[in-house]
Amino acid sequence: MRSPRRLLNSILFLLLFIVIGLPFVPLILSSVSFGWQWPNVLPDSFSFRAWEYVLADSSGTWSAVGTSLLVAFIVTAVNLLLAVPAANALVRNSFRGKWLMEAIIFAPIVIPPFVAVMGIHLTFLRLGLTETILGVVLAHISPTLPYMVRAIMISYNTLSVDWENQARMLGAGPISRFVHVVLPHLLPGIAAGASLSILISLSQYLITFIIGSGQVVTLPILLFPFISGGDPAIASAFSLLYAGIAVLTLLGMDLALKKYYQNKKAATAKG
Amino acid sequence: MWQKTRPYLLLLPAIGTIVLLFFGGLFDGLLKSLGYFPAIGETRFEMTAYTNLFQSSEFWESLILTIRVAALSSIFAAVLGAAIAVSLFMLKESSKSGASQVWHRLFQLPLTIPHLVGGYIIVLLFMQSGFLSKILASAGLIDEITDFPVLVNDPFGWGIILTYAWKEAPFVSLMIYPVLSRIHRSWRDVARVYGAGSWNFIREIVLPVMLPAWTIATFIVFVFTFSAFEVPFLLGVTYPSMLPVYSYQLYTSGTLADRPEALAVNIILAALTILLGLVVYYFSKRWNVLKGWD
Repeated sequence: MRSPRRLLNSILFLLLFIVIGLPFVPLILSSVSFGWQWPNVLPDSFSFRAWEYVLADSSGTWSAVGTSLLVAFIVTAVNLLLAVPAANALVRNSFRGKWLMEAIIFAPIVIPPFVAVMGIHLTFLRLGLTETILGVVLAHISPTLPYMVRAIMISYNTLSVDWENQARMLGAGPISRFVHVVLPHLLPGIAAGASLSILISLSQYLITFIIGSGQVVTLPILLFPFISGGDPAIASAFSLLYAGIAVLTLLGMDLALKKYYQNKKAATAKG
Repeated sequence: MWQKTRPYLLLLPAIGTIVLLFFGGLFDGLLKSLGYFPAIGETRFEMTAYTNLFQSSEFWESLILTIRVAALSSIFAAVLGAAIAVSLFMLKESSKSGASQVWHRLFQLPLTIPHLVGGYIIVLLFMQSGFLSKILASAGLIDEITDFPVLVNDPFGWGIILTYAWKEAPFVSLMIYPVLSRIHRSWRDVARVYGAGSWNFIREIVLPVMLPAWTIATFIVFVFTFSAFEVPFLLGVTYPSMLPVYSYQLYTSGTLADRPEALAVNIILAALTILLGLVVYYFSKRWNVLKGWD
C-alpha cells in the first residue's frame, strides 16, 4: 500500500505546478525570447532586449511606477485617516442607523465602482479634476476604503476599552492613550488594510483611464496597449515587472510589521 | 449629549466621502441615464435609454453572456479552490512542521497578481499559437495551429472564465480553510476507528462542514465576475461583450446620444449586484458563515 502522505504530497505538487508554476513559464520565457516560432516549446533564441527597453528611462516605465505608487500611497493615507475613527464607532457603539452606516461604507464592495466613476465623470470634468492625480486619487478612494475599514474593525474587535481606561487612570491623555495603547494594537489590522488598499489601487485600469483620460499614466495604463496586441516580449517583461511590484509591496508591508514586533519584543525584554 | 453624537461624528468623514464620491456618482449617473442633463439643456426625465436597451438584442445577448461567464468562472474557481483547501488541510493533518504555512503562502500568489497580468498569462498559455498549443504540437498531438481550439478572444468567453477560475480559486480556498481548520484531529481518529478511509472522511465530514462557506465564497466570486471590466475587455470579443464592457463601448462611442444608454446599463448592473449582494448577505447571516460555531 502506498503511504497516503506520499500520495497527498504528489497531489499538492501537481496542483502547485498547474496553478502556480505552469502559468508563469511562458510569461518568463517570452520576456527573454527573441522570436518564438510555433511549434517550438522553447524560444528560438534568447535576448534581454525587452527588459532593456522596459527598464530604460525612455519607455516611461519609471515615471509610471512612480505615479502608481504615489496614487496608491496617498489613497492609503487618506483611507487610514477616514477608517480608524469609523471603525472605532462601528465596533464600540450601538446607535440608531448603524446598519445604514455599515451599508453605505461597504456598498462599494458590491456595487462596481466604475459605475459611480462613469456617473461622476462629467462633473469631475467641469471641476477640472480629470487628467489630474488628485482626480485619480479621489476615484480610487471608494473601491479601497471599505477594505481598510473592514480590516481595522477586526483589530478593534479584540481591543478592550478596559486597557484604555487603565491608561487613563495612570494619567495618560487622549493622544498618548491613542499612540501607546490603541495604535500598537491596531497595527496588524492597519497593515492588512493598507496592503489591500495599495493592491487594489495598483490594479485599477478603467477608473484611472476614465478620470485620468490617458494623461495620468499609471502602470496598468502603460501596460494595456502592449498586452492587447503589442510585442509579446515587451508585454511579458512589463507584466512581470507590474506583478513583481505588487507582490514586493505586499511582502514589504509584511516584513516591516514583523520587524516592528521583533524590535518591540527586544525592547520589552531589555526594559 | 457627547456620548450620543460621538459615533456619528467619528463616522462623518468616512460616510461623507463615500456618499459624495460614490453615491454622488451613482445618483449623477442615474439622473443622466434618465436624460436629465442641464449642462446641455436637457431638464426632462424620460425612459428612452431604458426602453431602447430593453428592445436591443445586443443588451440581452450581453446580459446572457455575463451570467454564463460569471456562473462558469465561479463554478471552476469553487472546484479548484476546494481542491487546494482540502489538500492543504490534509497536509496539515498529517504533518507537524510549518510546511503547510509555506504551501499556503504559495497558493495565494494568483490573488496578488493584478487582473490585467492574470489575463495576459492566460493569453500566452491558451491562445491558438500559445504555450499549450506548442507543447501539444511538439508531443505530436496536433499538426496545425488551427487544431487548437480558440480559447482566447472567443465569443463564448472561455479566456475570461479561465482567468477568473485561476485568479479566484485561491480566494475560495482562503474562505474555506479557516472553517476546515476547526475540524479537530480527534474527529479523524474517531472516523478511522469506525473504519472510514481518507475518501470517506472527506465525503462524510469535511464536505458537509465546508459547504456553507464554500457556497458563499462561490457566490462572492459570481458577483465579482459579474461586474468586472479589465479581463473581459482584454480577453473578450467586441460582440457580444460582457455588460461592463458593453457599457464602456457605448460610453466611448463618440456620440453624446449613446451616453444615457451606457449609464442605463450601469444602473441596471448596479441594481443586479445589489440584489445578488443582498442574497449573499442573507445566507451568510443565516448560515453563520463568517462567525462559525463553537
